[in-house]
Amino acid sequence: MPEAAGVSADLSIFALFWQAHWVVKIVMTGLLACSVWVWAIAIEKFLLLQRTRTAMNRFEQAFWSGQSLEELYRSLSSRPNHSMAALFVAAMREWKRSFEGSTRSFAGLQMRIEKVMDVTISREVERLERRLLVLATVGSASPFVGLFGTVWGIMNSFQSIAASKNTSLAVVAPGIAEALFATAIGLVAAIPATIFYNKFSSEVNKQASRLEGFADEFSAILSRQIDERA
Amino acid sequence: MRKALTISAVGHAVLILWGLVTFVVKPLEANTTESLPIDVISDSEFTQITAGMKTAKKVETPKPLVEKIGEQKPVEELTKIEKKPAIQTASAEPMPIPEPKKPEPKPEKAKAEPEKQAEPEKAKPAEAPPPDPALEAMKKAEEQKKVEDQKKVEDQKRKAEEQKKKAEEKKKAEEQKRKEEAQRNAFDPGKIAALLDKQSPRREAATGDTINQTASLGLASGRSATLTQSEIDALRAQIQACWNPPAGAVDGRELIVRVRLQLRQDGSLSVDPAVMNRGGHPQFQIAAEAALRAVRRCQPYRLPIAKYDVWKDVEVTFDPRDMFRG
Repeated sequence: MPEAAGVSADLSIFALFWQAHWVVKIVMTGLLACSVWVWAIAIEKFLLLQRTRTAMNRFEQAFWSGQSLEELYRSLSSRPNHSMAALFVAAMREWKRSFEGSTRSFAGLQMRIEKVMDVTISREVERLERRLLVLATVGSASPFVGLFGTVWGIMNSFQSIAASKNTSLAVVAPGIAEALFATAIGLVAAIPATIFYNKFSSEVNKQASRLEGFADEFSAILSRQIDERA
Repeated sequence: MRKALTISAVGHAVLILWGLVTFVVKPLEANTTESLPIDVISDSEFTQITAGMKTAKKVETPKPLVEKIGEQKPVEELTKIEKKPAIQTASAEPMPIPEPKKPEPKPEKAKAEPEKQAEPEKAKPAEAPPPDPALEAMKKAEEQKKVEDQKKVEDQKRKAEEQKKKAEEKKKAEEQKRKEEAQRNAFDPGKIAALLDKQSPRREAATGDTINQTASLGLASGRSATLTQSEIDALRAQIQACWNPPAGAVDGRELIVRVRLQLRQDGSLSVDPAVMNRGGHPQFQIAAEAALRAVRRCQPYRLPIAKYDVWKDVEVTFDPRDMFRG
């Protein structure tokens, strides 16, 4: 028995991948791609939310500093680069249109401004929330995908055990290690995805409520103005 | 988004590279070890173990360790059988037995006889042919044997009578003893110490036919050759195919017949099978005959030739209940 002398198995990461069944290989590459995508989304969302938050802070500071709203509008209208500024610009544009047009129409102005702000808020929240669903999907599905790879690999290795008619650990171990590698990758993809999803969705909720609060305050200010001018 | 994607991809690539460098597991060098089967064995099996020591001298036939000469099977009875069939050699085919040669007149006798031959030749046919010394010796031996046999039979009868008397005496003595013991066995808490087992720890000595204190080199299997259960079952199945158990023997615990088979290497019977037990059941004789018939009819038996030493002399139990149990 030549192989009885010692069955050596290479268990480095590359070997684990290379020796696996092609189905398991597909699962592994898919999960790796998922992981890359998840981290890309996470980095992007992190930067976006950070940027939005600082911009909001700066805008609120400018807004409540007593600066003229006309000036603020002029400085921002060219490039409304973050959500609260976009909200402000949209409301101000509607306001200005109502005054600068040939016919002054105050009757539905309040309602129009609110509508515009609602639409802007929903668009901004949608922009913030985009791709967060991918994180949720990866977080919940990739463990199962990894498990599928594991089950497939173990089935495969059991078949090879049956073929070699040798049940010693040396024969069983490499196949199972390979198969478990798929679950490991699945978990590696899923755990950050779940954590990031929870963190970012709560962050997005916070910013959305902040936007709504600003919209309410701003519409209150505008409505006072309308009543004064009418 | 592209920036984030590149950052992520680069990060993963770096991680995998780092894994490739650091996560080098030593190759698993697992030597295949011999499996260690665990078996529950009885005392008799333990004493039959011939697993040896590596340092022991090499012996032709490994012997089990024996510390005490145990009971031997009654082999002598069989050697007494006078009508021996042709002696079998190891070869499968029975060797042609040399027929007893008629003693040819030896030249010496020829010299001695001329005196007789000198007498008138007519007398010769009337006279009995000159008694041959070899034949005479055989006859004498036979006569002696007969006399011995008769003596033996008489001896046995005498012994049987003596035994009967002794048995009666024994019975009486035992009854007395039992009565005394019954009185003695009344539980006395003061004498608990007397009930304790004061024997020093001991073990059963391994028994065999010759004392052998040195371990032998042993066999590959570590066991002396015995028929496995499946081989015994195979033999039983072969016999059962020819066995018509006595009808109506469903409840016959007393109809169990043990038959001793002595087999040649080709699986045929070398000696007529013998019934080894007696039964009080009225149908026992019929059952025994049926068993013997089955044994005779089903030969030759197919058994592993390598274990001939074990199955050349086996006992088979015919249990009608087994048969009806199916």
